[in-house]
Amino acid sequence: MTSKNETILVVEDDTQIRNFICYALKQEGFPYTTASTAQNALSILVSNQIDLMLLDLGLPDFDGMEVIKKVREWSEMPIIVVSARDQDKEKAAALDSGADDYLTKPFSATELMARIRVALRHLYKIGVTKAQTVLSVGGLSIDLEKRIVSLDGAQLHVTPLEYHLLTLFLKNPGKVLTTQYILKEIYGVGYGTDTQALRALMAGLRRKIEPTPAKPRYILTEIGVGYRLVDE
Amino acid sequence: MAENTRDEQRSYVLTIILFIAAATGICWLFRFLRFPETNIVVVYILSVLLTARFTRGYAYGIAATVIATCMFNYFFTEPYFTLSVNDPTYFVTFGIMTVTSIITSALTTKVKQNALEAREKEAEASALYQLTSHLSDAADISDIAAITVKTISDILNCRAACLCFDENGQPEQSFIQQKNSNEQLRRNVDDKKALLRRMENLRTAYDVGAEFYDWPIYGRETMLGILRIPNEAAEQMSDAQLRLLRSMLESAALAMDSFRSAQERIKSKEEIAQERYRSNLLRAISHDLRTPLSGIMGTSEMLMGMTDPKDSRYALAEGIYKDADWLHSLVENILGLTRLQDSRLVLNKQMEAVEEVIGVAVMAIGKRAPEREIMVHIPDTVMLVPMDAKLIDQVLVNLLDNAIKHTPPAGEISITVRENIEEGVAVFTVADRGTGIASVDISHIFQMFYTTHGKEADSQRGVGLGLAICESIIKAHVGTISAKNRKNGGAEFTFTLPLEAENHD
Repeated sequence: MTSKNETILVVEDDTQIRNFICYALKQEGFPYTTASTAQNALSILVSNQIDLMLLDLGLPDFDGMEVIKKVREWSEMPIIVVSARDQDKEKAAALDSGADDYLTKPFSATELMARIRVALRHLYKIGVTKAQTVLSVGGLSIDLEKRIVSLDGAQLHVTPLEYHLLTLFLKNPGKVLTTQYILKEIYGVGYGTDTQALRALMAGLRRKIEPTPAKPRYILTEIGVGYRLVDE
Repeated sequence: MAENTRDEQRSYVLTIILFIAAATGICWLFRFLRFPETNIVVVYILSVLLTARFTRGYAYGIAATVIATCMFNYFFTEPYFTLSVNDPTYFVTFGIMTVTSIITSALTTKVKQNALEAREKEAEASALYQLTSHLSDAADISDIAAITVKTISDILNCRAACLCFDENGQPEQSFIQQKNSNEQLRRNVDDKKALLRRMENLRTAYDVGAEFYDWPIYGRETMLGILRIPNEAAEQMSDAQLRLLRSMLESAALAMDSFRSAQERIKSKEEIAQERYRSNLLRAISHDLRTPLSGIMGTSEMLMGMTDPKDSRYALAEGIYKDADWLHSLVENILGLTRLQDSRLVLNKQMEAVEEVIGVAVMAIGKRAPEREIMVHIPDTVMLVPMDAKLIDQVLVNLLDNAIKHTPPAGEISITVRENIEEGVAVFTVADRGTGIASVDISHIFQMFYTTHGKEADSQRGVGLGLAICESIIKAHVGTISAKNRKNGGAEFTFTLPLEAENHD
């Protein structure tokens, strides 16, 4: 059990789940604070140094989405949203309004810790990423200066759109990018919500970087929400 | 009725005789008193007028005119007691007298008829008014029928009956019939189908049967009922009564229609309330059951992680985890099915890459059963199919889950997707090398809560919802789903999805 410096705020109204999360955090050596309402969470956030927030979307007083928007007014801290399985729209909306990741109930302690680690690593990469010219995940790397993509050491030919897409993912490893966000980044603001072109683009890219597109190693599909590049 | 007419005729003839005789008597007195002849003529005209007043129809007036003229001729013109006259100017007198009498009697008769018609119309209006005012107090459709039957029976002086139809245009079990002026009884319908057929093929305003005339009661959209009048009463109906009957049937139809629509309004209000109640209940279930189950699953899994797998406490924690997992998927399935069976479910259909949906399903199964390898065969070219990806993912997960349950660890499980251009569908197949499906189960396998007869039933709990959900989802996509056994052992589930999104805006 190694002790860590990042304080985590757990916003969850269900006692059982809160206890379970807290125990898992204690096991990993994270200091933590808890809140069971959105009001409570906001007052803790303004008066304490919090590094990461785990936020349940279904809070008793008001929408978790409001908490995200308020926090984003002053802080860049990682926010991981916890939600039920059928709340895809809420998930996507939470991610679009600034949440970094989401966890679907029920989740295991292992899953929770993996997400927290990714989010924290991401936090420290901010600033670093901007200076980096070579980004890589596993055998996949991209040289932003030379505009070269390589897979397991061999150079890979990609179209400009595929290059753009890959850059977007490699700049945000481990983070879920919503379909809306990707569409906006790749095709521009006025593109709308037609996902067909993105699906085809993604399929083309996967055929270049994945041996079996139906069992992807790099870019995972998050159905109803978007895509996530694995972060190892 | 025929008897009545003859009595009436006799009394009218007597009236004529009486008045003419009285007039003759008075005139005799006048002649005796040596009054001028003009008085005698006026008295005879008066007698014709009175006759017309107290009889019905022009015929009696005219008869009285002729008789009065003859009497005047016979008794009061020279030569007396003969029908011949000495003074030919009397013919002028006779002529004027006849014409005056005819006109007088005609006018009188007409005035009388007008009065009669006015009275009839008033009676009609008041009967209709009575009916509508009673109908507005009616509590239900059979009450409306009962009131109509009573009013019509009173007016036609018969035992009318009414058969109501239900919301679906089907006749009810029994007629409401008037027994006497204050009592009604129920009479069962002998042959509903024949009755309905007769009414549907009706070309005239009513149907003539062996004992009854049947009048259909038409509402705005459907036939609302039948009014039955005994033949003898129906045959004697006057035009005015017929008219009245029609107006009454229209009033009854109007009352029934407005009652129905009021009922429908209440019903839809109730449905809305029920719907709200149901969605609240579902929300409560989803929150109050799923959330604690997630807590139990997480905690028990953590307990498992803290214990040595050989320790008996590990098995206990594992038992808790498995049961919670099972309960959790049951809750998810019930929620999913309720949502799917809601007729207003709108699919979030988009063009999705087949490989992505399959990739997600395979990964989800990989988490649950890491030891299993699932073979995937999909076309090399990108295949985009319109679907609600989340739901199709659920279908694939359910089918794969099912395959894993029924296949020994070494058995092969595969997903294949191909394009069927002729039929314009994408064909998904999930095949395994497991125990296969018992032939008794094959036709029921997609039924809700159907659990198989196989020996797995005890060791692997199932509620028989998974495949029912798959079927609902595929049906919502206008696809097909089927199950069969493979030649060399194992089961095969195949579903299709249309390649073209249907155009409905």
